[in-house]
Amino acid sequence: MALSAGAAHERAEALSRPRANRLGLWLFFASETFLFAAFISARFVSSGTYKPEELNQPLALFLTVVLLGSSISAYLAETSIAHGNRQGLIRYLSITILLGLAFLVGVGFEFKEAIEYFPPETIYGSNFLALIGLHGFHVFTGVVALAVVLRLGTKGHFEPDDYWGVEGVVKYWHFVDLAWVVIFPTLYLF
Amino acid sequence: MNDSGGYKRDAIRVGLLWLALVVVLEVVWFSVEILPRQYAEEARIIDDAFNLLTILGIPVFSFVVAMLIYAALRFRSGGDASQDGPPIKTSTPVVVTWLVVTTALAVFILINPGLVGLAELRANPDADLVIEVEGQRWQWVATYPNGAEVRDELVLPVDTRIKFEVTSVDILHSFWVPGFRTKIDAVPGLTTSVYATPTELGSFAEDSALRLQCAELCGIGHARMVMPVRVVEKAEFQAWMADQLTAEAPAAEGRG
Amino acid sequence: MRPLIRAVVLGLVGYVAGAWLTVAVRGGSPSDDVAVTFGFILGLIGWLMGIGVWNAWAREWFGLPAKPDQATGWQRYLTFNTDHKVIGVQYLVTFITVLLLGGFMALIMRWELANPGQDFLDPDTYNKLMSMHGILMIATAVAGILGAFGNYLVPLMIGARDMAFPRVNAMSFWLIPPVAIGLLSAPLLGSFDSGWTAYPPLSVVNEGGQVLFILAVITFGLSSILGGLNIVTTVATMRAPGMSWGRLPIFVWAAFAASVLSLLITQFFAASLILILLDRAAGTTFFLAEGGGDALLYQHLFWFYSHPAVYIMVLPAFGVMLEIITHLARKPLFAYKVVVAGFWGIVGLSVAVWAHHMFTSGMAESLHAPFMALTEAISIPTGLVFLGALGTLWQGRLQSKTPLWLAFGWLFNFTIGGITGIYLADVATDIHLQDTYFVVAHFHYTIVGGTIFALIAGSYFWFPKITGRMYHERLGKIFAVWLTVGFNLVFIPLFWVGINGMNRRIADYPEFFAGPNAFASVAAYILGAGFLLYAGNLLWSARRGPAADPNPWGARTLEWQLPSPPPEHNFPLLPEVVGHPYDYGIPGSVHVAPMTPEGGEEA
Ligand code: HEA
Ligand code: HEA
Ligand code: CUA
Ligand SMILES: [Cu+2]
Repeated sequence: MALSAGAAHERAEALSRPRANRLGLWLFFASETFLFAAFISARFVSSGTYKPEELNQPLALFLTVVLLGSSISAYLAETSIAHGNRQGLIRYLSITILLGLAFLVGVGFEFKEAIEYFPPETIYGSNFLALIGLHGFHVFTGVVALAVVLRLGTKGHFEPDDYWGVEGVVKYWHFVDLAWVVIFPTLYLF
Repeated sequence: MNDSGGYKRDAIRVGLLWLALVVVLEVVWFSVEILPRQYAEEARIIDDAFNLLTILGIPVFSFVVAMLIYAALRFRSGGDASQDGPPIKTSTPVVVTWLVVTTALAVFILINPGLVGLAELRANPDADLVIEVEGQRWQWVATYPNGAEVRDELVLPVDTRIKFEVTSVDILHSFWVPGFRTKIDAVPGLTTSVYATPTELGSFAEDSALRLQCAELCGIGHARMVMPVRVVEKAEFQAWMADQLTAEAPAAEGRG
Repeated sequence: MRPLIRAVVLGLVGYVAGAWLTVAVRGGSPSDDVAVTFGFILGLIGWLMGIGVWNAWAREWFGLPAKPDQATGWQRYLTFNTDHKVIGVQYLVTFITVLLLGGFMALIMRWELANPGQDFLDPDTYNKLMSMHGILMIATAVAGILGAFGNYLVPLMIGARDMAFPRVNAMSFWLIPPVAIGLLSAPLLGSFDSGWTAYPPLSVVNEGGQVLFILAVITFGLSSILGGLNIVTTVATMRAPGMSWGRLPIFVWAAFAASVLSLLITQFFAASLILILLDRAAGTTFFLAEGGGDALLYQHLFWFYSHPAVYIMVLPAFGVMLEIITHLARKPLFAYKVVVAGFWGIVGLSVAVWAHHMFTSGMAESLHAPFMALTEAISIPTGLVFLGALGTLWQGRLQSKTPLWLAFGWLFNFTIGGITGIYLADVATDIHLQDTYFVVAHFHYTIVGGTIFALIAGSYFWFPKITGRMYHERLGKIFAVWLTVGFNLVFIPLFWVGINGMNRRIADYPEFFAGPNAFASVAAYILGAGFLLYAGNLLWSARRGPAADPNPWGARTLEWQLPSPPPEHNFPLLPEVVGHPYDYGIPGSVHVAPMTPEGGEEA
C-alpha cells in the first residue's frame, strides 16, 4: 500500500459515497414501509374490509391521478438536470410541487366531507383519519423537500454529474406516490 | 499444545462433571417442593408441564455450568498474552451433534409438555357450572347461574368443571387464581373464558394461593384487586348460592 | 458549552411556543394532550437546531455554507460532533448514567417491596416509579451497546474513517437527551402508570404524563431507526479493501443484524404509540371498545416490535461477549460461520414469535400452538451462540481478566434467562406464570444478565482503547464477582415468589411472600453498592490510571492496531485486510497488513 493517508481514503470514500447515499435512502424506504404496514394492518385488523357507502370515490380517483401525474413530472425534473437542463428542472419541479399541493387540498376537502359521515369516534373513521393523516404528512414533507431543492436549483446548485439532492427527493416523492397506490385501495376499494 | 489425548481427557472429565451436576440437581429438584399447592385439575396439568421442563432444563443448564467450571479451572493461562490456544476453528461433527441435540430437545418439549399440555387443557369444552366474572376498577363481580351477584367472596363447588366467562367494563384486568394456575385477561368489549375444576377444599384464609388476583396492571388498586376464593362441598355450594339470592333481595329493596 | 445552552434555550422556547400556539388556536389548557404534543414537537426542533443541526446541516438547505462548531478537548462531547468515536463515548456515558439512575429507582422500589403492606410509597407512586424504571432500562438496553460500541467500534473494526452518514449519526445521539428529559419531566404532568408496555385502554385514560412517554419513546424510536440505518449502510459500503463479509469481526455482524431489525421493526412501536396518541388527542377509538375499537390490536402491534426488540438488545451483547471470549481465550472463534448463521436465524424468527406475550390476553386460541412452536424454535439459533462461546473457551489459554470473568457470569446468567424463557413459551406453564415475578426474573436474567453484563464487560474491555489508560484490574475482578453473585441473589428468590403466586407491578403483596422479598431487597442494596465500585474504578482510572499499551490484550482486530485513543480520522493509511480476524495460534497468519504511513512513525 503506497497510497498516502488522506488520498487513498478520500478516493475510496468518493467511490462509496453515492452507493452509501442510495443504500441509505432505500433502507429508509424499507423502514417507512413498515410504518405504513403497521397502519394498514391496523385498518384491516380493527375494521376488516368494511367500507362506508359515503366515500367520495370519484374525488379519490382524481387525486390518485393527480399524484401519479406528479410522479411523472418529478421524473422529468430529474432527467432534465441529468442532461444539464436547468430550466427543465425548475419547470418540472414547480409542476410537481403544484400537483402535490393540489393533492393536499383535495385530500383536505375529502377529509372534511368524510368526517361528517364517519367521525373519528367510529372505528372506520379512526382508520381513515390515521391513514390519510399519515400519508398527507408524508406528502407535505415531500412538498417541503421539493421546495428546498427547487430553491437550490434556481440558485445554481446541482450539475449533470452531481445532483444527488434532486435524485433523493424525487425518489422520495415516488415512494410517497407508491404508498398512496396502496392506501387508496385500502381505504376505498376493499 | 494439547494433542488429541489431552482433548479426550478433558472431554471425559467435563462429561463426568456434567453427570455429577445433573444427578445432584435432579435429586434436589425431586426432593424440594416449590410449586404451590394444587387446588384444581388444571393445576396438575400445568405443574406436570413445569416439572417436565425442569427435568429437561437441568441437563442443559448443567452442561453450560460444567463447561464454565472446567474452563475456569483447567484452561487458565499461566503464561503471557502471546501464548495462543490450539487453532481449532470449527469441527463439523461437534456442530452437527449440537444442532441435532438442541433441535431434538426443542421438538421434544414442543410436543411434550407443549402440545400435549395444550390438548389436555382444551380436552373438554363442556362445563357443569358457568360463572360470569366482570372486572372493574378495582373489584370483581361474579354472577352465578341463579342470578346472584357476588363481590366479596368467590365460592366454588369442589369436583365440578367450572367455566368462567370473563369480561371488563373499563380497562384490562386479568382473572388469575394461583391455586388453580389458570389465567385469562378481562378485556372490555370481549368475553374470554377459562376453565377450572377444583379438586381440594380450602379458602383464602388458609392459603393465599386461593385468591382471585387481578394480574393485569390497572392502576392504583391493581395490587388489591383481590377476591378471596373458597372451595366447598357441592351441597354446601348449592345452599350458599341460594342464600346469596335471598341475601341480595332485601339489600336491593333497601336501596330502592 | 455554548451549543448546549443554545439548545436548552431554543428547546424551551419551542416548547412554550408550541403549547401556547395550540391554546391560542383551539383553546383548552397548555397542559392538555394536544398542546403538550405540539409543544414537544416544536421543542424538539428547537433543541436540535440549537445543538448544531442548524449550523452544521440545515444552512445547506438554504444554500448557505455550513458552520460546524469547532470545539476541542472534552468540550467536543457537548457539541454536535460528527466523529463516530465522540458519539460512541457520548452514548456510553449517557446510558451508563441512565442505568445508574434507573437502578437507583429499582432500589427505591425494592425498599417498598422489602415487606408486605404499604409503608413507603403509595400504590400510585409505586406504579409510576416502576414504569419509569422499566422504560429507562429498556432504552438503555436497546441503545446502550449499539449506540456506544456500535458507533465507536464498527468503523474502526471495518477500517473506515467514520460512519456513512456522520451528521445523521450525531443527530441520532442528540435525539436522546430530549427523550430523557421528556420521560423524567413526565411527573410534572402526572406521570405515567401503565408500565413500559403502555397497554391501552389504561394508557388512553390515565394522566397527561403518558403523552410525554409516548412522544419521548417515538423520538427514541426515531433515533434507533436512524442509528440502525447508519450502521447497516456503513457495514455494507465502507469496508476496507480485503474486509470481505467472511472476515467481519463478530461484533460487526452482531451490530449489523441488530441494526437491520431496529431499522425495520421500530416503526411498529412508533405506530402503536401514535395510535394511542390519536385516541387520546384526536378522539379516535382504535383501542376503546365503546367505539368499536380493540384493545388487543395494540398488543399485536406493540409486541411485533417489542419482542424483536429483545434481540436488538441481546444480539450486540452476543457480539461483545464473543469478541471478549475469543481475544482473551486466544483461540479462533469456534464455528464462526455457524454463529453468524445463528444471528440471522434469530433475526428471522424474532419477527414471528410476538404473540407469546399474549397467551392469556384472550386472543384467538388457534394462535397458541404456532406461536409456542416458533418461540421454542428460537432457542436453536440462540444455542448456536452458546456453541460458539463454549467451543472457543474449550482448551483456550484463558487470560484471567475482568472482561472474561464477566463473560463467565454472562454465560451463567443467560442460560438461566434462556431456559426460563422456555417455561414462558410453553402455553400451559405460561398461563400460570404470565404477569408474575417469574417473568420479572426471566427478563432480568436476559436483559441484565445478558445485555447489561455485556455493556459492562465491554466498558472494561475497550476502556484502554477509549481512554488510553488502564482500569484497576483487582477492583475490576472484585466487581465482576460482586455483580454476578449479587445479581443472582436478587433474582433467584423472585422466581420462587412468582411461581407461588406473586404477580408483578404491585406495591403490596400477601404476607406469604415476605421472606424472599426481604432477602431480594437486601441483596439489591448489596448489588447497588457494587456499582459504586464500578463507577469509581472507571472514573478514577480514566483520569489517573496508568497509561495503557495500545494493544494490552494482544488482540488481532483492527481497532487494537491503532494508538489509544485512536486519532481523529482513525487510520493513517487505508488499511488492507488480508486474513481472518481470529486466527489465533495459526503461525504466520495476519488480519491486517502493517500500517506504516509515509514518513510517519510505526503504528
Ligand atoms: C434481552 C432480552 C430477552 C431475551 C434474550 C429473551 C429471550 C427469550 N424469551 Fe423473554 N422476555 C424479555 C426479554 C428477553 N427475553 C422481556 C423484557 C420480557 C417481558 C416483557 C414484559 O412483559 O414486560 C420477556 C417475556 C417473555 C415471554 C412472555 C412472558 C409473559 O409475559 O407471559 C416469553 C414467552 O414465551 C419469553 C420467552 C423467551 C424465550 C423463549 C427466549 C429465548 O430467546 C431464549 C433462548 C435461549 C436459550 C434457550 C438458552 C441457550 C440455549 C441453549 C443452551 C441450547 C439448548 C436449549 C434448548 C433446546 C431449550 N420471554
Ligand atoms: C436494563 C434493564 C433493567 C435493569 C438493569 C434492571 C435492574 C434492576 N431491576 Fe428492573 N425492570 C426492568 C428492567 C431492568 N431492571 C424492566 C423492563 C421492568 C418492567 C417494568 C414494567 O413492568 O413495566 C423492571 C421491573 C422491575 C421490578 C418489578 C416491578 C414490578 O413489577 O412491580 C423489580 C422488582 O424487584 C425490579 C428490580 C430491579 C433491580 C433490583 C435491579 C438492579 O439490578 C439494580 C441495581 C442497582 C443499580 C444499578 C443502582 C446503582 C446506583 C447507585 C448505587 C446510586 C447511584 C445514584 C444516583 C444515580 C443518584 N425491576
Ligand atoms: Cu385490575 Cu389489575
Ligand atoms: Cu418475547
